[in-house]
Amino acid sequence: MLEIQNLHVKLEDEPREILKGLSLTVKPGEVHAIMGPNGSGKSTLSYVLSGRAGYEVTDGSVSFKGENLLEMDPNMRAAKGVFLAFQYPIEIPGVATMQFLKVALNAQRKARGEKELSIPDFMRFVKERAAKLNISQEMLKRPVNVGFSGGEKKRAEILQMAVLEPSLCILDETDSGLDIDALKVVADGVNALRSPDRAMIVITHYQRLLDYIVPDFVHVLSAGKIVKSGGKELAHELEANGYAEFVEKVA
Amino acid sequence: MNIALIKTPAEEAFGISLPHRRMEEWRWTDLRARIDRPYPAHQNTVVAKIDVDRLIASSPFAKIKTHRIVFVNGSWDQAHSNFTGLTFEMGVPTSSAIDDPLIHLNGAIEPAGLTLRFESNMDVLVEIMHITTKGAARSMALRNCIEVADGASATIIETYLGEGDYVLSSVMEFEIGLGARLDRVKVEHESASATHLSHVVTSLAKDAKLNEFTLTSGGALNRQNGTYTFVGENADAKIAGAYLLNNKQHADTRLVVDHAVPHCTSRETFKCVMDDHARGIFQGKVIVRKHAQKTDGKQSSHALLLSEFAEFDAKPELEIYADDVVCGHGATAGDINLDHLFYLRSRGIPEAEAKSLLIAAFVGEAFDNVVHDGLRDALVNYAANWLQVRKNV
Ligand SMILES: Nc1ncnc2c1ncn2[C@@H]1O[C@H](COP(=O)(O)OP(=O)(O)OP(=O)(O)O)[C@@H](O)[C@H]1O
Ligand SMILES: [Mg+2]
Repeated sequence: MLEIQNLHVKLEDEPREILKGLSLTVKPGEVHAIMGPNGSGKSTLSYVLSGRAGYEVTDGSVSFKGENLLEMDPNMRAAKGVFLAFQYPIEIPGVATMQFLKVALNAQRKARGEKELSIPDFMRFVKERAAKLNISQEMLKRPVNVGFSGGEKKRAEILQMAVLEPSLCILDETDSGLDIDALKVVADGVNALRSPDRAMIVITHYQRLLDYIVPDFVHVLSAGKIVKSGGKELAHELEANGYAEFVEKVA
Repeated sequence: MNIALIKTPAEEAFGISLPHRRMEEWRWTDLRARIDRPYPAHQNTVVAKIDVDRLIASSPFAKIKTHRIVFVNGSWDQAHSNFTGLTFEMGVPTSSAIDDPLIHLNGAIEPAGLTLRFESNMDVLVEIMHITTKGAARSMALRNCIEVADGASATIIETYLGEGDYVLSSVMEFEIGLGARLDRVKVEHESASATHLSHVVTSLAKDAKLNEFTLTSGGALNRQNGTYTFVGENADAKIAGAYLLNNKQHADTRLVVDHAVPHCTSRETFKCVMDDHARGIFQGKVIVRKHAQKTDGKQSSHALLLSEFAEFDAKPELEIYADDVVCGHGATAGDINLDHLFYLRSRGIPEAEAKSLLIAAFVGEAFDNVVHDGLRDALVNYAANWLQVRKNV
C-alpha cells in the first residue's frame, strides 16, 4: 500500500536535512508503530506523507497504491485514502465541526466519483461514531477544535478518521495528553477501524498505547532514519532501555 | 491650514465643497478628487416598472417578508411601498444640525425621506430600499429618521441597489428611546460604478439596545460615517460590519462612539474581506467623557486580504477622560492562515472550497450580530454567492 524508499527531506527555506534516507513498506492490514526521540523527524514524515507545504523532498520516492504520492495535492491524497491524525490538531474558528465533516466527506466522495450522502444519512452516520467516542452533540456544533481540551481534540481527530474511513491512517502521538479512560476510548475507536484492507502508522512515545493497539511492526526513527525494526516486543525494550543506543549510533 | 481650493466641476454642480485628503478623517478617501465629474441632482429618469421589479428581486432579502418602503432614483415609489400598520410622516425630517460634509452634501442634493415612528413592539421587518435605475450620471439623496419610542422595539433593514453611474447620499437618524431596542441591518449593494455616501446619527437613551450590522459589498466608492451617542445610562450598542470587496472597490467606514454618560457598553466588530485591488479602511473613534465611569467600550477590526494588491488600513482612536473604564481596540490584517488551509485540505477539501469555507467563517463572525435568523441566513447566502463568483473567476 505504502512504499517509502530512501526518502530525503529538508525544510524548504533551510538547508537542514530532517529525513535522511528513510525507507518503509506498509502492506494492507498492517499496523506499524514508529517510536523515536524528540526531533527525530516523526511528525515531519507524517506531514510529508499528507502533503503539507514547507518541505522539500531532495531524494527518494513514496508510492501509495502504486501511484506517486508526492505529486498529489493534499486533498487528492485524502481522497485516495491518506489520513493524518495531527499531533497538534488545528483550531478553525467559525467552521462548525458537523459542517466541516460533511464538506470533507462529500468532497472525498465527489473526488472518488461517489454520490454525496443525504443529510439524514450523514447525520446518523456521524452521530453513531461520535457516541462511540464519547463526543457529545454539543461538541459537534462547536467550531472545529475551538475550545476543545487536549483530550477532546485527539478524540475529535479519531472521529474524523472514523467518518472519512481512510485506507492509510497515520496517528501522530494521538495518545499524548489522554487520560487512561480516554486512551481506551481512542484505542477502541482505532481498533474498530482495523481491517485487512486498511493500514496504520502509529507514532508514539509510549509503549502503553501499543498494549491497546497492538502493532505488527515497531520501528525506531532516529535522526531522520529508521535505525531498527522489530515486532511488538521492541517497544518493551525501548521502554526499558530508552533510545541511548540509537542516538549514540547516529552521533 | 486654510487653502482656498478652486472648485471642481462636481463642487460647482453641488454648490458646496467636498472633503479631501488634507482633512484628517478623509485622508484615505479623497472625495473631492474621486468625484471627478458633475453628478447633477434631480435628473428626470424614465423608470420602467420592470427594471424596478428586477432590482427589488435582486435584493438579498427578496424572499423575506418585509414592509418595504421603496425609493427609486431619489423619490418615493408609492406603488412598491407598503405602510400597513406603520406610523410615519412623508417628508424630509429636520435634521439635528451636525456639521459634517456628508450631511451638507445630502442637503445640497435635496433628499427625499420620511420619519417612521415605532410606538410599541412591532413584529414586522421594515425595509427601506433605495433603487437606482440605469440613466445619466446623477446624484440622489435620502434622509430618513427612525424613532423607536420608549419601551418599543423595531427591526430596520436598509437595502441599496442600483445600476449605472451615480452618487447616492443617505442620511439616517435613529433615536432609540428608554429601554427601547433597535435591530438595524444594512446591505450596500450599489452598482459597480456607484459612489455610496452614508451618514448615520444614532442616539441611545437609558437602557436602550442597538444591534447593528452593515454589509458593504457593492459600489466603486463607499464612505460611511456613523455617530453613536449614549445619552442615558446602561445602554448597549453592538455595531458590526463586514466588507466583501473586489476589483478596485474602496470602502471607508468612520465611526464615532460617544460615551457621554456612565455605565454603557459598546462593541464594534468589523470583518473585512478584500480581494484583487480592493481597499478597505476602518476608522473607529471611542470617546469616553469625564463623567462616563464604568464605560465598557471595545473595538476590533480584522481584515482578510485575498490578493497581494488588496489593502486595509485601520485607525483606532480612543479619547478617554474618565478613569474607571474598560476600553480596548484591536486590529489585524492578514491573508488566509496556511495551517487552517492545510488542515482542511488534509481532510479532502479542495483548495478553492477550503478557502471559501475559511473566508465565510471569517465574515460569519460579524453576521452573528444579526438577530433575525432569516436575515442572517440571507446574508450568509449573499456571502456564499460572492464566494462562488470569486471561485469562478
Ligand atoms: N517547519 C519547521 N521549521 C523549523 N524546523 C522544523 C520544522 N519542521 C520540523 N523542524 C525540525 O525538524 C526536526 C524534526 O521535527 P519533528 O517535528 O518531525 O520531530 P518529531 O520526531 O515529531 O518530534 P516529537 O517527538 O517532539 O514530536 C526538529 O529538529 C524540528 O525542530
Ligand atoms: Mg512530532
